[in-house]
Amino acid sequence: MFLISEFVVLLTTNLILTKALGTSTLFIAAGSRKNLLWIAITITAFTTVGSAGAYLINGLLPENFTDLRLLLYVLIIGVLYFALLSVLYFTDGKSFGTTRKYVHVSAFNCAVMGTLFTISENADADTSLNNIVSFIIRGAEAGTGFILSAFILMAAFKILNSKEVPAAFRGFPAMLVYLGIISMAMYALV
Amino acid sequence: MTNKKRPLLEGLISGNTVLSGLMVISPVIVCGNTVMNALALMYAFSAITFITVMIGSFIPKRLPYGMKIVIYAVIASIIYIPVKAAAEEFFPDIIPRIGIYFMLVAVNSLITVQTEAKFYRMTRGKMTASLILHILGFDAVMLIIAAVRELLAYGTFCGRIVDADILISGLGAPFGGFILLGIFCGIYRGIGNAMRHDDDVSGGDGECF
Repeated sequence: MFLISEFVVLLTTNLILTKALGTSTLFIAAGSRKNLLWIAITITAFTTVGSAGAYLINGLLPENFTDLRLLLYVLIIGVLYFALLSVLYFTDGKSFGTTRKYVHVSAFNCAVMGTLFTISENADADTSLNNIVSFIIRGAEAGTGFILSAFILMAAFKILNSKEVPAAFRGFPAMLVYLGIISMAMYALV
Repeated sequence: MTNKKRPLLEGLISGNTVLSGLMVISPVIVCGNTVMNALALMYAFSAITFITVMIGSFIPKRLPYGMKIVIYAVIASIIYIPVKAAAEEFFPDIIPRIGIYFMLVAVNSLITVQTEAKFYRMTRGKMTASLILHILGFDAVMLIIAAVRELLAYGTFCGRIVDADILISGLGAPFGGFILLGIFCGIYRGIGNAMRHDDDVSGGDGECF
């Protein structure tokens, strides 16, 4: 029962299906299983660690300076971006050329930045969520939600790109309509 | 149209940021449901993207790729502060409605991806023209989609009630945005394919799309 309710929560709070955050990145990720796996892992790392950083910044930033949040969040993601690239470079220099592209795609996009802002916004509205554990859990949930959406898209990826779909709608247009229908189903669940 | 003009106009028509590149689609899907929302986002997107890309073009090219991307994002986040302050004067009721999407336009793909992939490979004059057309391409799509959604979902235009017989309220929701954008992408691509086919048949060079 716990797993079912967690699954429903993941669907109904999914940032792609409810807020369209990271949709372009999702289309890149759903292209192949390998891309999907690495982009999803990297995005989850960014959202989870980035959320902890966002919590610290929210605590330190005076209320009158909330417009600086964007700049500070960008700096957090920038630091994580360099850290991840450095780790990849020093641990697996041979395949660095391949793996770094996943980091480039995953760092500065709506999925990651949108997660940090959404979590902070929710914490501002509900003070019980304003603790580091909640931030980290919600960051990880957002990454998991991205993986879930990518699987939902991958399930229909082949057919949406097949010749059965009219040429004009084949690929991205069909994928958008498909995501819209899934999103509509989620909307009905809430 | 000559071959020289084609890459410049690409951003407006054939390589449209939203319909062709599927970039910066989240604000269009979620917030592009009224014309006033669209105007506020168009203002933020245009101002932040143009100023950031122009300033970013002075960053030394020899810096590592990753470092340049972070610098561009930092520049955009700094530009965001005065842009938001001005937006609060022009669109005081709209900014809270747009919420996080106003901030998210500061880390859009034209800044974090297309700068290095496209704009900074051009001469400064061409880059400026191409950038303006890419921005106008986004603005045009945003405005058209928002106008259609507002009309069909709420029966209003710029907040004024119009005589609409049928309302499809779902079009105002994010799922409506996904579906309508998908339909627009398909129509755009279909028109492009038809025009290319016409050009091929008549011996043209397929220059429109």
